[in-house]
Amino acid sequence: MAKLLLYLTLATSLIPLFSVAFSPENPTDRRVLVLVDDFAIKSSHSLYFGSLTSRGFQLEFKLADDPNIGLQRYGQYLYDALVLFCPSVERFGGSIDVASIVDFVDSGHDLIVAADSNASDLIREVATECGVDFDEDPAAMVIDHINYAVSNFDGDHTLIASDDFIKADVILGSKKIEAPVLFQGIGHSLNPANSLVLKVLSASSSAYSANPKSKLSNPPSLTGSAISLVSVVQARNNARILITGSLSMFSNRSGVQKAGSSIKHEKSGNEQFLTEISKWVFHERGHLKAVNVRHHKVGESDEPAIYRINDDLEYSVEIYEWSGTSWEPYVSDDVQVQFYMMSPYVLKTLSTDQKGHYSAEFKVPDVYGVFQFKVEYQRLGYTSLSLSKQIPVRPYRHNEYERFLPAAYPYYGSAFSMMAGFFIFTIVHLYSK
Amino acid sequence: MVNDGTFYFDEKLVNMREQQGPLATTSSVVRGLTAFSSVITESLNLTGDKILGIAKFFLGIGIPGDTKNFFDQVDSLACLENNRVSIPLILSLPSTVISLTKKDSLKVKVNTVLGSHAPPLTVTLVRAFSSSARDNSIIENQELKFDPQDAVYFLDDLPASFDVGEYIFVFKMLVQDSEQQTVYATGTLTQVPIYVTGLIKIENAKIAVLDSDLGSVETQKKLDLAGESTVSVSANHLQKLRLSFQMSTPLGNAFKPHQAFLRLRHETKVEHTFVVGSSGKKFEITLDFLGLVEKFFYLSGRYDIQLTVGDAVMENSLLRDIGYVELDLPEPPENASRPPPQPVDPYTRYGPKAEITHIFRAPEKRPPQELSLAFLVLTILPLFGFIIGLLRLGVNLKNFPTSAVPATFAVIFHLGIAAVLLLYVLFWLKLDLFTTLKTLCFLGVFLMVVGHRTLSHLASASAKLKSA
Repeated sequence: MAKLLLYLTLATSLIPLFSVAFSPENPTDRRVLVLVDDFAIKSSHSLYFGSLTSRGFQLEFKLADDPNIGLQRYGQYLYDALVLFCPSVERFGGSIDVASIVDFVDSGHDLIVAADSNASDLIREVATECGVDFDEDPAAMVIDHINYAVSNFDGDHTLIASDDFIKADVILGSKKIEAPVLFQGIGHSLNPANSLVLKVLSASSSAYSANPKSKLSNPPSLTGSAISLVSVVQARNNARILITGSLSMFSNRSGVQKAGSSIKHEKSGNEQFLTEISKWVFHERGHLKAVNVRHHKVGESDEPAIYRINDDLEYSVEIYEWSGTSWEPYVSDDVQVQFYMMSPYVLKTLSTDQKGHYSAEFKVPDVYGVFQFKVEYQRLGYTSLSLSKQIPVRPYRHNEYERFLPAAYPYYGSAFSMMAGFFIFTIVHLYSK
Repeated sequence: MVNDGTFYFDEKLVNMREQQGPLATTSSVVRGLTAFSSVITESLNLTGDKILGIAKFFLGIGIPGDTKNFFDQVDSLACLENNRVSIPLILSLPSTVISLTKKDSLKVKVNTVLGSHAPPLTVTLVRAFSSSARDNSIIENQELKFDPQDAVYFLDDLPASFDVGEYIFVFKMLVQDSEQQTVYATGTLTQVPIYVTGLIKIENAKIAVLDSDLGSVETQKKLDLAGESTVSVSANHLQKLRLSFQMSTPLGNAFKPHQAFLRLRHETKVEHTFVVGSSGKKFEITLDFLGLVEKFFYLSGRYDIQLTVGDAVMENSLLRDIGYVELDLPEPPENASRPPPQPVDPYTRYGPKAEITHIFRAPEKRPPQELSLAFLVLTILPLFGFIIGLLRLGVNLKNFPTSAVPATFAVIFHLGIAAVLLLYVLFWLKLDLFTTLKTLCFLGVFLMVVGHRTLSHLASASAKLKSA
């Protein structure tokens, strides 16, 4: 009986350790809400969902107009990420609407939005809030008469085989995607002023977005490689959003052959592409953290509260990257630190010991004031690091100047010769006759 | 009943913990139906269309990823394969894209739901019409021949009047053995969209620069759209640019492609796209730069010309860089609109910045050390001059007190003065003011006492001398 009680207390006290939800120590999302138009998607897109569950995600499938769905309850978010596979939903059920989705993303959570050729205004609105504009024509699809996928059943060239990927290993993985990716749906464009959104898969320059059934009289608004098929957004709070115009891209597909090429790939690149990009969106890759910011004078080890001008100091920081299960040291040769007061006085590249420890030595400038050690690290696909530590810099104290200046020797000489002369004079004057 | 001919059952959500979905629901209906029909002796009164609709539903969902769904699908298809109500026969085409260049022939397959052979049938192509001209049917009531080797029904030669384009073919199948007609469900008519593709001839491509008022040709160059050569023309805002070519189908008819774009791209990556209009076989676009000056944002310079022609039925869709045109446009007025901002290349946006090292203030200029040493020597010289002068004057120490006590006091007095001077030197070297003042106090008091004794003795000695 006592043993049972002991086990019970032990078990209950260990429960907090088992909650591996989204937290700064463990940034990978765990609980994902998937909103679908109908549950057949669970079956037709099973490979994609299977790849997610095999990596440890808990997926919850709900219909988009289910009246019981909600993202948060009593102020706490129930899920770490949201997947919208419901392109034709007119109104979300429960407490979800565009504003609550935007709040969800603003609080740092991730989002995947997949539209399709019958995308409703609601999904378009969600995409516009994220910075991406779908083609306004509701019947338009992306058509490419040169880079289409050879198929015995889709003769209207709306099934595109695209391999114009972004060159970023952190987003798409280090292994090259050999086969093209199949896409069938609507395209979107990015506002050039938006610096947070990236085109991961763009259409070729012969693509255009139009209704395949009707003739064109005006040039379409989206043409060429300005059409983005898959885009990602990394918000300033490091929430990641994936937006694409084809829900069927996620479905279980087989081989692909690009028109004009004789290579028949047995497996399209969709699976590898989507697995890698989902890893990035759910923070399994490319998530950095910087810890242990230290600075001290060269030769000492404790951190002073103030520096003097012309001091030699050393700044060090440790940067780790989340690998999905643990924090690995991040190795790169372009992390820079700035010694900043209104503008950077010193900007130095930190050298690394290949184990995540970065350090740099420099001389404090001869301007005094309140400076900051700033590390602003922004690279394609990585979370942005923004570290800042304030440190004052004082001028020389009165006793830190040079003590005896050679230029003053005449003055020293004159004073001491005066003193010597006085001594001799006192003797001579008193005792000479 | 859904429009594409499938038929399924769905469940109403009645407070069930788990929603079954149409697949599970329909499969349980089918299982019950076939089991029931195999037990009873009479035949059930169900139309073949409904059974066919259910069969098409199961075949239309592809391969489900869930194992339970997959089992439901395969199990229901197996029930339908051999049931006593009616066995559905599915008409399918291995390819709905027929290429005229490859001389594909139309092939049709008829199988049961699990793919086994159907009984002998007559498959008839009831009608074939172009999707743009639905009333005008090109083929009527053509029976398809059966190839026993591949078990396909085929139409060996499309009639010569078949041009490229999108068509809808309507098929009908009938079991040859009249007794077995009730056993199988063949449905009524099956409509299949077919794409007939071919090579489109593009010829007579020309690009010309015209003078706007008179329309006379200033320069005209031939374009070779099949090759790789590029041309270059130049124009100013008073002229027009005309691009023309002719397109025709393999049978010589006029052809209007879905996509016929002319794109001009400036050096600053600002792009403008135009649709090439057509009349019959002739395609022509004329860009009147006088009206387009504002649209082009008054940007002069080199514009790359790109022509894109494509269609679903065109096997040789092309995207060609034709060349460039040097455009000379007038200066923009004050309130002209700026060209839209171009996207920043993401790879250059995130690079490391240039390093900055602080340039320290140069220290003040000091005189060279030799100069200071020279002046040091110069300042010490007067001391030597003083000593030499004193010796010259004949100073002596004759007045030094001879008796012991005053002599001691005199010596101590001078030692005290020396001590004070030494204290000054020590202060200069390392002491601070407080210790110096403290020591000076003591030394000063001592020196006053001793000095008083000495000087009073000296004064009294000289007074004695004077009075004597």
